[in-house]
Amino acid sequence: MSRHPAPEELLLDYAAGALPESPALAVALHVALDPAARRALDRLNAVGGALIEGEAGAALDDAALERAMAQLDQVAVEPRAVPAARRPGFEWAPPPLIPHLRPEMGWRRILGKFDEIRLDVPGDAYRVSLLRLEPGRGLPEHKHAGYEYTVCLQGGYTDATGSYRVGDFAIGPGAERHEPIADPGEPCIALIVVEKPIVLTGPWGRLLNPLVSRGLL
Amino acid sequence: MLSADEAADLIEAIAARQDRAAFASLFRHFAPRVKAFIMRGGSDPEAAQEVAQEALIVVWRKAASFDRSRASAATWIYTIARNKRIDLLRRGARPIDTEDWLVVYAPEGEEADKSILAGQTYTRVKELLGGLSADQLVVIRKAFFEDKTHTVIAKELKLPLGTVKSRIRLALGRLREALEKDES
Repeated sequence: MSRHPAPEELLLDYAAGALPESPALAVALHVALDPAARRALDRLNAVGGALIEGEAGAALDDAALERAMAQLDQVAVEPRAVPAARRPGFEWAPPPLIPHLRPEMGWRRILGKFDEIRLDVPGDAYRVSLLRLEPGRGLPEHKHAGYEYTVCLQGGYTDATGSYRVGDFAIGPGAERHEPIADPGEPCIALIVVEKPIVLTGPWGRLLNPLVSRGLL
Repeated sequence: MLSADEAADLIEAIAARQDRAAFASLFRHFAPRVKAFIMRGGSDPEAAQEVAQEALIVVWRKAASFDRSRASAATWIYTIARNKRIDLLRRGARPIDTEDWLVVYAPEGEEADKSILAGQTYTRVKELLGGLSADQLVVIRKAFFEDKTHTVIAKELKLPLGTVKSRIRLALGRLREALEKDES
């Protein structure tokens, strides 16, 4: 059992497909690293399965099956999928992160204090970064207007809310957080998803901040 | 009707020998259900039918990655349909890849051995859903199927937001407690 699990409501949003891509990546990494979160997600997906099984169903037109069958000649049954291979230099990266890593990506030193790799997650209003802290080093105390999701991927860190190890999940408004310090041992690597302090309107607006709109936080 | 075991057998038949008759049986059972699921998200019937067809084609394509010890057929197809719905909402953006369910369902090392059989979880969840109050069931269904925020659900049901949130929490809590009792 992770000492710092993601809130079950967040897992529900993930299982229901209602999370924007960047927070969904944070949850996917948490689930990949934490067996208890994975079991919780299995349960929620099973709820989805039971609900879809219980649907009365909406009739398809008569030719739909024929059309689908005709397509099968062009579609191969693929061999069993294997998780993506670990990326050299990024051995700590769990499978859901690997598609986001590109060969030219490298750590950039920020303010002489910590290293960052910015990830390019399209389609939503979050800043997604990998941060690396040497043991004993801290992030500058920070706060921001939006919400922040953190998943620890290597090593560990401690702040006023507790100690976080690999797989642990933290969520919260930045204003409440204190300076996180990397624990002794390996450098601490974490994925940080920060909501950008801008408000977008329009058809995509509803995707931007489901947690606030759901009143969960 | 199709039992959970029969549905799993059909997916395995596709994986083992590209069994078209098995595909047709799965299609007849699940395509209308997936279509209804997509329509609950607000799609028109034509778009929903298109998505249902595409989802069943994914079932064919990915059949070999189905693992009945990790998920029931209905659960696996739910995750495929859900990902298709995400694609629909993000139209134009990069489509979600298959990583999602590969990560969730591809066992990785010894940890997989410790995980409970998801097929059993599914059967239990089905029983447990039957035991929820109508009030709890309606909010859970809306959260899953209609991709609605708690605020919208509250408005639709003319309930205070706090009531909707506590019903969802209660319902999830009951499921979790019952399943954890099974596991221990």
